[in-house]
Amino acid sequence: MNSQQIYYIFDLCKSPNLSLSLSFITMAKQHARWSPYDNNGGTCVAIAGADYCVIAADTRMSTGYSILSRDYSKICKLADKCMMASSGFQADVRALQKVLAARHLIYQHQHNKQMSCPAMGQLLSNTLYYKRFFPYYAFNVLGGLDNEGKGCVFTYDAVGSYERVGYSSQGSGSTLIMPFLDNQLKSPSPLLLPAQDAVTPLSESEAVDLVKTCFASATERDIYTGDRLEIVILNADGVRREEMELRKD
Amino acid sequence: MECVFGLVGKGFALVVADTSAVNSILVHKSNEDKIMILDSHKLMGASGEAGDRAQFTEYIQKNVALYQFRNGIPLTTAAAANFTRGELATALRKSPYMVNIILAGYDKETGPSLYYIDYIASLHKVDKAAFGYGSYFSLSMMDRHYHSNMTLEEAVDLVDKCIMEIRSRLVVAPPNFVIKIVDQDGAREYAWRESIKDAAHISTA
Amino acid sequence: MVVFLGFANLLLTISCNLIIYLFEQVMSMKFDTSGLESHHGMLFGARDELSSGLSAAPSFDIPNSNDFDCFQKEAIQMVKPAKGTTTLAFIFKEASQSVKKIIEINPYMLGTMAGGAADCQFWHRNLGIKCRLHELANKRRISVTGASKLLANILYNYRGMGLSVGTMIAGWDETGPGLYYVDSEGGRLKGTRFSVGSGSPYAYGVLDNGYRYDMSVEEAAELARRSIYHATFRDGASGGVASVYYVGPNGWKKLSGDDVAELHYSYYPVEPAVVEQEMVET
Repeated sequence: MNSQQIYYIFDLCKSPNLSLSLSFITMAKQHARWSPYDNNGGTCVAIAGADYCVIAADTRMSTGYSILSRDYSKICKLADKCMMASSGFQADVRALQKVLAARHLIYQHQHNKQMSCPAMGQLLSNTLYYKRFFPYYAFNVLGGLDNEGKGCVFTYDAVGSYERVGYSSQGSGSTLIMPFLDNQLKSPSPLLLPAQDAVTPLSESEAVDLVKTCFASATERDIYTGDRLEIVILNADGVRREEMELRKD
Repeated sequence: MECVFGLVGKGFALVVADTSAVNSILVHKSNEDKIMILDSHKLMGASGEAGDRAQFTEYIQKNVALYQFRNGIPLTTAAAANFTRGELATALRKSPYMVNIILAGYDKETGPSLYYIDYIASLHKVDKAAFGYGSYFSLSMMDRHYHSNMTLEEAVDLVDKCIMEIRSRLVVAPPNFVIKIVDQDGAREYAWRESIKDAAHISTA
Repeated sequence: MVVFLGFANLLLTISCNLIIYLFEQVMSMKFDTSGLESHHGMLFGARDELSSGLSAAPSFDIPNSNDFDCFQKEAIQMVKPAKGTTTLAFIFKEASQSVKKIIEINPYMLGTMAGGAADCQFWHRNLGIKCRLHELANKRRISVTGASKLLANILYNYRGMGLSVGTMIAGWDETGPGLYYVDSEGGRLKGTRFSVGSGSPYAYGVLDNGYRYDMSVEEAAELARRSIYHATFRDGASGGVASVYYVGPNGWKKLSGDDVAELHYSYYPVEPAVVEQEMVET
């Protein structure tokens, strides 16, 4: 008797329904390698400035070596001053965006105003954590303006651990981009005493240029990043969008 | 590693437990009392996973108190042992409590008694019992030197022999032990056997 | 009497490693939500799929897998941020103190975080809410004993489900300083000196050696900082900032927050190396 058989017999003991678990024995063998998750790649970056916030992501969507789309936006507007860029598993990202949109609609009905970016940050954390035991396979950065009009960036893991930072990158190209941003922007830790301001010293146009540069570089080495770069800039004047073509190979 | 043992003497029963709270290779605490005083005449020495031990012994204690509160009379030691066993047996088929228990008590009618209850819900009324790595030393020690109707002095002497043997022969021997007894006057702490002082003692001193 | 709490940790880094997950079967199932009770009305009457995601008291969806343990193991791997931590806290004559990955539960209570970042963050916030509600209901602050037991009971309810939390609750209540160690295996210990996290054995080495109950605040702060520094030096997973908090009768106060890299050079200034042998051009 091989180990797999032993495994299924063990399973059987645990199942309250014998006939059901018998059918699992055959099913399980067929679908043993099935996974509810996929990784569709993609890279997101957000940078907070004194009075602006830049959120950027590429528009490629892949699975394995196949490119599914060259024009799929990863950036989602959650509120007037709050944008979320997400990579990971597109189906989970979509589900997450819909939950947040619905919760925000309810918030607007109850409070007659738009949710603030820090509030949305906490909401996103809780939404992710409520699926702690079957997580959304989504890696998010939230960018926007806080109540004082300062740029803010929140960065997350898949189960909702989050932190307010000066800049962040998530997704398949984050391992290439994050050290570059650390090098260029390295902001002091918020834990330091006396406290030092975490907002990046760059001007808005410098930040946009930096984002373009790091995506151009990441695209060279990360096969899941490419096609087109979508940049959203939030400031006191409102929302502005920019685009840049990336390598398509 | 954990050592819990106990024995019945003449007109009393006694339980001994180590007092180390261990997590992997770390000793977080060396004055953790693992013997709960269930009610006026019952002692419950427990070993096993820290969380299960704390939660389960407190659950039993509260239920024993509830019974006494509702009915005006306390459970006998035998009844408490059987209740404890029942709870372990019920949990065993759901999410087992990983706790081994030595229950000692004194009843007016039957005198002192000692029960061995393990995590798979077996229950034995015994004269002497032990759990954990320390049991390899203390069981044989008690087999050799135990006799019925031991006086308190003889019993404590035997307990000290067991502790010394554990400390000298067991690789992962805990430094400190607590001894509690129960007799007609009730359940109480009898003594500590400490070879390391914890900071808590200094601060509360 | 005062309490001191020391704690240092690694930067909160979020890793997004991709792993292949093998699941036999996945369905949606409702699970125990006792840890998240909310007594406020729900927006919708029925607890259907939509309302559970949107109402004030959402439930934890758990996969109805044939082999939940296996599923959990796979899910944990993908989700857990690769993060090391060292935290410590101790009570001494004057106060209690600690390092970053500190959560400020209320002005009189602190929690340290080691283990899963999200698990720590979420349940500490949850505990903060419960403590505040206790305060509003009873017109007095919750005791450290009570708060730590609230957290321990919640974690015990989720035992075996893969939560990873190692925490110390330090605070000042009506009985004076209080310090408890609580972990996700359900352990809860009262004590005067603890260290938790991957670097904790190193921290204990320095802490145990330097500890005296009758230290001054300055001595205690320096001992905490040094302990954390030496832990971050030896433990590859710990690093970043060492913060020191102090909890006294008037609440907690952050005493310092130092980059451990800079601490290194303040403890061990660079000395010009003696040239033992010089290459001479021939």
